[in-house]
Amino acid sequence: EDIKVKYELAEKLYNEGNYKKAVRLFEQIATQYAGKPQGERIYYFMADSYYNIEDYYLSAYQFERFAKSYPRSEKVEEALFYNAKSQYKLSPKYSIDQAETNTALEKLQVFINKYPESEHMEEANKMTLELRTKLEKKAFEIAKQYNRIKDYKAAIKSWELFLSEYPGSVYREDALFQKMLASYNLAMNSIYNRQEERLNDTKSVYNTLKRFYSQSKYLREADKMLEDINNELEKFSKQS
Amino acid sequence: QETTIDKGEKYILGGIEVTGIKSYSEQTVVAYTGLRVGQEITVPGEQISEVINKLWGLKMFSDINFYITNIEDGKVFLELNIQELPTLSDVKITGVKEKKTEEIIKDADLKKGKKVTEGFIANTKNYLLNKYKKQGYLNTKVNINTVEDTDTTQTNAVKMVVRIDKGEKVKIKDINFEGNEQLKDKKLQKAMKNTKERALGRFWKKSKFIPEDYKEDLTSVVDAYKEKGYRDARILSDSIIYNNDNTISINIDVEEGNKYYIGDIDFVGNTVYTDQYLSRVLGIKKGDTYNGVLLRKRIQDNTKPDAEDIANLYQNNGYLFSTINPVEVSAVNDTIDFEIRIIEGKPAYFNNITVTGNDKTNDHVIYRELRTRPGQLYSKENVIRTIRELGQLGYFDPEQITPNIQNANPQEGTVDIEYGLVEKGTSQIELQGGFGGGGFIGTLGLSFSNFAIKDIFNKEAYKPVPMGDGQRISLRLQASRYFQNYSFSFVEPWLGGEKPVQFSASISHSINYRFTGYSGDVDKNQRFNLSGLTVGLAKRLEWPDNYFTLSHAFSFQLYDLKNYSTGLFNFSTGMSRSFAYTVALSRNSLFTNPIFPLGGSEFSISAKLTPPYSLFNNIDYGDLENQEEYQLKSSSGQLIDEDGNLVSESGKDPVPDEAKIGQTKIKWQEFYKIKFKGAWYTRLVDKLVLKTQGEFGFLGAYNNDRGIIPFERFYLGGDGLGNFTMDGRETIGLRGYENQSLSSNDGSTIYNKYSLELRYPLTLKPSASIYALTFLEGGAGFDNFRDFNPFNVKRSAGAGIRIFMPAFGLLGIDFGYGFDEDPFTNQVSGWQTHFIIGQQF
Repeated sequence: EDIKVKYELAEKLYNEGNYKKAVRLFEQIATQYAGKPQGERIYYFMADSYYNIEDYYLSAYQFERFAKSYPRSEKVEEALFYNAKSQYKLSPKYSIDQAETNTALEKLQVFINKYPESEHMEEANKMTLELRTKLEKKAFEIAKQYNRIKDYKAAIKSWELFLSEYPGSVYREDALFQKMLASYNLAMNSIYNRQEERLNDTKSVYNTLKRFYSQSKYLREADKMLEDINNELEKFSKQS
Repeated sequence: QETTIDKGEKYILGGIEVTGIKSYSEQTVVAYTGLRVGQEITVPGEQISEVINKLWGLKMFSDINFYITNIEDGKVFLELNIQELPTLSDVKITGVKEKKTEEIIKDADLKKGKKVTEGFIANTKNYLLNKYKKQGYLNTKVNINTVEDTDTTQTNAVKMVVRIDKGEKVKIKDINFEGNEQLKDKKLQKAMKNTKERALGRFWKKSKFIPEDYKEDLTSVVDAYKEKGYRDARILSDSIIYNNDNTISINIDVEEGNKYYIGDIDFVGNTVYTDQYLSRVLGIKKGDTYNGVLLRKRIQDNTKPDAEDIANLYQNNGYLFSTINPVEVSAVNDTIDFEIRIIEGKPAYFNNITVTGNDKTNDHVIYRELRTRPGQLYSKENVIRTIRELGQLGYFDPEQITPNIQNANPQEGTVDIEYGLVEKGTSQIELQGGFGGGGFIGTLGLSFSNFAIKDIFNKEAYKPVPMGDGQRISLRLQASRYFQNYSFSFVEPWLGGEKPVQFSASISHSINYRFTGYSGDVDKNQRFNLSGLTVGLAKRLEWPDNYFTLSHAFSFQLYDLKNYSTGLFNFSTGMSRSFAYTVALSRNSLFTNPIFPLGGSEFSISAKLTPPYSLFNNIDYGDLENQEEYQLKSSSGQLIDEDGNLVSESGKDPVPDEAKIGQTKIKWQEFYKIKFKGAWYTRLVDKLVLKTQGEFGFLGAYNNDRGIIPFERFYLGGDGLGNFTMDGRETIGLRGYENQSLSSNDGSTIYNKYSLELRYPLTLKPSASIYALTFLEGGAGFDNFRDFNPFNVKRSAGAGIRIFMPAFGLLGIDFGYGFDEDPFTNQVSGWQTHFIIGQQF
C-alpha cells in the first residue's frame, strides 16, 4: 500500500536524520494513522522532525498535541520538555513583545512541577533562569530609558517597581545605582521648596546601595554624588 | 444496566465496543477516547466522565452514553453508544435571488459539513427573519426543512431546504401624534431618528419599520420633551395600523405634563473643586428650563470620550475612581432642586505602563512616545492622546490600539495601563521599468519607515530588513540611457535618544546627457549634473503647546553644466551653487489616523534663506554690462561691438557678455522664500470630514539688480506631483487644470491656493484604506508681487477617490472641472483627470 510505503520511508529518513524530507511524509500520512497504534510513533517523530529543522512554532504545537492525544504514552515527558524548549527557542530579543517568553516560562513551570525527577531538570531550570533574566533586562532597559529622556520622576517610580517586582534580580545593583542617579538629578534640579526632601531621598537610596553592595563598582560615582548632596544640604541646615 | 454514581469500583478494562456510529470507524473512536484494553479503570469514575466530556467537546454527537455490557473476573466490558449529529450536505434556498443565496450561506454559516442541530435550525431561522425585518420586510416568513440526503455517498447527511417569503416591503404612511400641544408633529417626527414617514427625495433614510428601532425612537420622543423641560412627558399608548396598500400608520398618544425649571443645584462630596467652579463647568443655572438630557451630558457625556464634562474634569486629573450622580431632591411646583453627589475617591497614580503586540518595534521607540508614565497622576486625556500619537507613528494600526486599564486599586490609588498594539507593514518597494522619452527607464525605490540602522551588520536582523528602531530610510535609483538619478535619505526621530530631536539627512546626485530626439542618440559631451545635500534637525517644542515643531535645515546644491544650454541659464558651461538655511515652525494636532484624520489641524510656516552675498561682495549687479570685464571680447582680448568688430576700430558701443553676466548672477544663488500652509479637519457627521486648506508662497530677491533666481519657483496646476526637474521647482496641485498650466514658463514667484474637501471613508482597514472625496479649489500664481491679488483665483470643483495600501502607498484618481480659462489656450479648462501616486493633498 501507498501509505505503508510512505510510512516506512518516512521512518527511514527520520532515522537517517533527513528531517526535512521525513516531516513532509509524516504530514501526509499522519491523519490516516491518527486512530491507529502507529499514530503515536508518527506524531512524535513528526514533532521531533520539526524540532530538528528548527521550525519551533510547529514543533511546539505538535509536541503539545502529542501530549494531549496520547496522555499515557511513555514519551509524554519528552514531549512536554521539548514543547517547552521549542517555546524557549521562540522567545524573541528582550526589546519587543514577550508573549512567547511568557508562554515558555509557563510551559517550563508545568514541566518542572510535573517531572521534578526528570533528567532534563537542570536544563529546564537553566532555561527558566535565562528567560526570567530576559524579562528583567526588559524592565531594566525600559526604566533606564526614563533616566535617559530625563523624566526622573517616572524613572524613580519605575526603579521602585523594578526593585519590588524583581527582588533577586541580577540587575539589582545597577537598578539601585540608576535609581540614585535619577533621584540625584531630580534633587539637584529641583524647585527650592522640595529640594531638601529630594536630597534626603537621594541620600537614603545611597544608603541602601551601600548597605547591600558595600563593594559596588558604582561606589566612586555614588560617593561623588553624595558629596554634592551633602554640600547642597548644608544650605538648608544653615538656614534652620 | 447503569450503575449509580457513588459506587465506583476498580476493574481491568476487558473490552470496549462502540455502537451507534455511522461515519466513523470504531477504531478511531476508541483511539480518541484514550482508553486501552487492559488498563485499570474505575466504573463509574473520572476516566469515564473525562471521555464523555472529550467527546462532547467535539460537538459532533447528539447523545453519548456508556454501558457496562459484562463484568467477568474483575474485567469490565463497556459499550460506548454515540449518536452522531447529521451533517449538512447541501443547502437550497428559495425565494431570494441567486446572488443573495451565497451571501446568506456565508453569513448564516450554512457550510457543508456543519452539524445540524435543532438550535442550528432555529438560529438560522431567526437570523433570516431579523435580517429581512431590518430591511423593512415585516411580513417575512421563513420555513426550514431538512431531508436525508440519499444522493451522496456520505452517510448521515441531510439536505436543508430554506424557503423564504419576504412579502412586500412595509412603508410607513404616516406618524400621528395626539395630545401634543407644546411640540408640533414635525418636531416629534424629527426626533424619531430611524422611523420615518415615507417621503420623496429623502433617499439616505428609507422609510421602514424595525421594531427595535421604533422602541428606541419612542424614547427619543420622550427625550425631545425632556430637553424642553417636560420632565414628566410620557407616551400613553402607541398603535400600529396595517393599511391595505402595504403601509402602516402609527398613532402615538402622548401626555406632555408640565414644564419644569431648574431650582438649586448643590454639589455634595466635592473637596478638590469648589462649588463655583463645578457649577461653571456644569453651565446650568437656577431658573433654566429643566433639560434632563443636557444635564446628563454636562455631567457625563458617554458619546464623547474627550467631552468637557464634570466626569472628565475628575478623570483628567487623577480621579479614576470618582463617580458622579445627580439626584432630584425636591420638586416644588415647577421647580426641581438637585443634588449632584460626587464620590471623588483617592487620586490614582500610574504604576506599570506596559506595551504588548510590538513584534517588530523596539520598546524604546514606543515608550518614549507615551504620555502616561509611571508615577504620574492618572489622566484620561493623556491616555487618549497617547493612543492618538501612537497611531501617528505609522508603525501600528491606528484602528487597533487598545488601552487596557489593569489592576485598578482604589485603596492604594494605583492603576496599571497596558497598550495593546498591532504592527503594520512599514516597508515600501518600488521596482519599475518602462519606456519613456525615447528609451528604457528603470526605477528601483526602497523605503523603510521603521528601520534599525544599528542592526545593519547583524545578519540575523535581516527578516527581511533590520527593523524596529523607528528610523526611516529610503533609497531611489533611476536610470535610463540619458539620465541617472540617485537619492538616499535617512531620518532618526530621536537623535541621541534623549530628546525628540529629529535628525534627517539626504543626498542626491543626477547626471543628465543631452538627448537628441531625432536620431535618438545621446550626446555625452553635453551634460548637466546636479548634486545636493541636506541636513536638518527638528525639535518638538513644549511652548506655546506641545504640538509645535521647530525645524532647521541646511542645504547645498551644485549645478554643473557642460555644453548644455537650457532655458534656465543664459550660459551653457558653468556652475551655480545654492547654499540655504531653512527654518520652519509647524503645528500638527491631527487625530489618530494619518491617512484619514478625523479632526485636528496642521500648519506650517517656513523661510528659506541664502546668505545675502551681494551685500558684501562689492559687485554692482546693475552695472555689470557697463564693465569691461563683462563685455564681449575678441580672441585677443579686445572689446568688440554687436557686429563682432573691434570697438577701438568701429567706435560703436561694446556689448555685454550675457552668459558671463548670467553666470555671475547665479554663481552663488541669492534668494529668500516664505511659505505658509494650513489645513483644518472638521468632523461633520459620522466619519464625514471637511478639510479646509489654505497656502501661500513667495520667492524674493535681496538685490533687485541681481533679480529673482530662475530656481525654486512655483508651478501651479494639475495633480501637484513633483517630477524630477533640475531647477528645484515646487509643483503646487490645482485640480481641474493641466499640470503646471497656471504659471508662466519661468514659473511663478508668488502664489496662493485655497481648497475645501469633503472626505468619507469607505474602509479604514490596515490592508487598505479607501476614501471618497469631493473638492472645491481656487488658486493662482503670479510673476511678481505687484500683480498679486489673493482673490483673483482660478477655480475648480470635482470628486475623486483615494486608496492607501501600506505596500504601495497612496493611489488615487480625481476628476476636476476648471471653471476658468487656461492662460495658454484662453479656453475654459473644463474636465481634467488626475492620477495621484504617493502624495497627499
